[in-house]
Amino acid sequence: MKKSLLLLIGICFTISGFTILKEKLFYVPKDWPKPEYDFSKNPLTHDKVELGRALFYDPVLSKDNTISCNSCHSQFTAFAHVDHALSHGINNLIGNRNAPALMNLAWQKSFMWDGAINHLDMQPLAPIANEKEMASNIDSVVKKLQRTKLYPTLFLKAFGDSIITGEHTLKAISQFMLTLISSNSKYDSVMRKKATFTEQEKNGYTLFKLTCSGCHQEPLFTNQQFENNGLTIDATLNDIGRMKITLDPNDSLNFKVPSLRNIEFSYPYMHDGRFKKLTDVLNHYISGIQKSKTLSKKLEVPILLSSNEKVDIIAFLLTLTDRSFLFNTDFSYPKELLLKTN
Amino acid sequence: MKIRIVVFLLFLNSIYSNTQAQKSNEISVSFYPLFKNSVIDFNQPAFYQIGINDSIQFDLLRFYISGIQLLNDGKVMWEEQKSFHLIDANENLLSILIQPPLNISYTEIKFNLGIDSITNVSGAMGGDLDPTKGMYWTWQNGYINFKLEGKCSLCMTRNNEFQFHIGGYQFPFSSIQTINLLAEPQKNIYVDIDLRKLIELNDLVNENNIVAPSKEAVLFSNQIASVFSNRKK
Ligand code: HEC
Ligand code: HEC
Repeated sequence: MKKSLLLLIGICFTISGFTILKEKLFYVPKDWPKPEYDFSKNPLTHDKVELGRALFYDPVLSKDNTISCNSCHSQFTAFAHVDHALSHGINNLIGNRNAPALMNLAWQKSFMWDGAINHLDMQPLAPIANEKEMASNIDSVVKKLQRTKLYPTLFLKAFGDSIITGEHTLKAISQFMLTLISSNSKYDSVMRKKATFTEQEKNGYTLFKLTCSGCHQEPLFTNQQFENNGLTIDATLNDIGRMKITLDPNDSLNFKVPSLRNIEFSYPYMHDGRFKKLTDVLNHYISGIQKSKTLSKKLEVPILLSSNEKVDIIAFLLTLTDRSFLFNTDFSYPKELLLKTN
Repeated sequence: MKIRIVVFLLFLNSIYSNTQAQKSNEISVSFYPLFKNSVIDFNQPAFYQIGINDSIQFDLLRFYISGIQLLNDGKVMWEEQKSFHLIDANENLLSILIQPPLNISYTEIKFNLGIDSITNVSGAMGGDLDPTKGMYWTWQNGYINFKLEGKCSLCMTRNNEFQFHIGGYQFPFSSIQTINLLAEPQKNIYVDIDLRKLIELNDLVNENNIVAPSKEAVLFSNQIASVFSNRKK
């Protein structure tokens, strides 16, 4: 009898221990929707997340060992490409699009500005193979990792197998990216009634809900749809957006509605990084909308904002900055792993 | 007491069902890429004559077979679990083994040429589905169901190359095909793939490079399916 009681207590402790561990790696913030990512196929563990983090920061993924994921997605810009309108990769080749911020990816239905990627696991294949990005392929990456001192041990620890596969490599990178949750901005504190907006921010929030949240829907600040927000087409890029994937003319110039969390730091803005400042973005919505067949219905009525109101909206947008995300050391360069061996 | 009996019965039952499962036999399903009745050796590519003055050479053939079922009068008698197989002519992986139970009768084998849409959106997978196999698109997601590459004097391309990477799982460009062939219990299955016919169905002058989901890819996938047949005796 006593024994089984002890056993029961033991079991309870282990279970609660596990949940604590799990909460640290991934959690659903209060009032957020259910994540899209199917964790049952790739349950998070500490070792897998750490392996993924090492891979994310390791230029070993590129052909000439110069470019890592982090080269285009750096933490202090919410994992966007700092200061580059079009991201640049190997041999300084310039890509076709602006690198988006990486956060709250577990909730995202599709990836890339045109939704070309259907699952987070498969995302790394694109930059790894892109001639202008990392110019390699997953097969050579796997073989290369196998030859390193570091990775067979890390894969053994994480997956119980030191033979490296594409599946495990991709799942590990996903694991790290899934932990990148940003939900502790001032806005979030206000929603949790732990802080209050200033008058200006409050007014900005009201205006935002009237004019912007049809697409930039709370709490993720995206409705996850593809919309044409009236940007003029850049003749040097001729990017048709979603239509490239669906080949449907109704999707021409539709791009994924991006989240606006941490927008203060993820400049420049839009799929081609055409705007450097939030004022430029607001000016676009007020006076720059290009009418076209596919322009979103939500933007057919012109947005009228006084210059004070413009400033108020920007003040509100700045409350979406989450410093605990931008400076979270769990997400930063894994010195312990990468500096030791390389 | 009662519980012990139940446990014992369960134990017996498990032994019984195990031996049942062991009674399955292995049947091979083999694929033969043909040109005018001769089997193409992808490791020593040869030129074949087409038309009067033109020639063609095949360098690469790789495709997925999935969802294998055995049917009797249209009724599914058996279906393979986790049924995904990469057929690769260059690696001489042209034959697969299936293990249906001995005691079923069937007249037909049915399988998909390609990968179903659910699997296409389920993230990273291993085995034959591992993206390192080179059958996964990178710039846009999805498996490549069928790859055929080679050279033909009809193609006004670099080195006269042609390239068909056929895939796509989303409406309206789904290119997965179902193939039904005859089969008999305990007999190996031999499948011909008539590449000459496939080439003849196409206009290689104008259509020699399909590498993304599209209307053309769907049409091509139909044509591929139509050149699979039971080996002629
Ligand atoms: C050379 C710069 C570059 C490198 C290196 C790079 N990316 Fe990106 N990343 C981009 C660009 C540009 C986009 C948007 C592309 C598009 O929409 O077509 C993007 C998009 C993404 C997205 C989709 C985000 C969204 O909201 O849709 C994810 C996830 C991502 N990258 C992860 C990675 C990972 C993981 C690596 C390393 C394996 C990596 N990136 C390496 C530039 C880069
Ligand atoms: C019709 C839907 C829609 C509405 C309404 C809308 N947006 Fe957008 N927004 C988009 C889309 C789509 C993009 C991405 C467009 C692109 O890059 O081609 C975008 C991009 C942005 C960006 C750049 C994000 C980045 O990471 O590059 C900001 C900032 C922004 N919107 C703010 C606003 C504000 C503020 C409002 C209200 C005044 C607003 N949006 C209203 C659809 C919308």
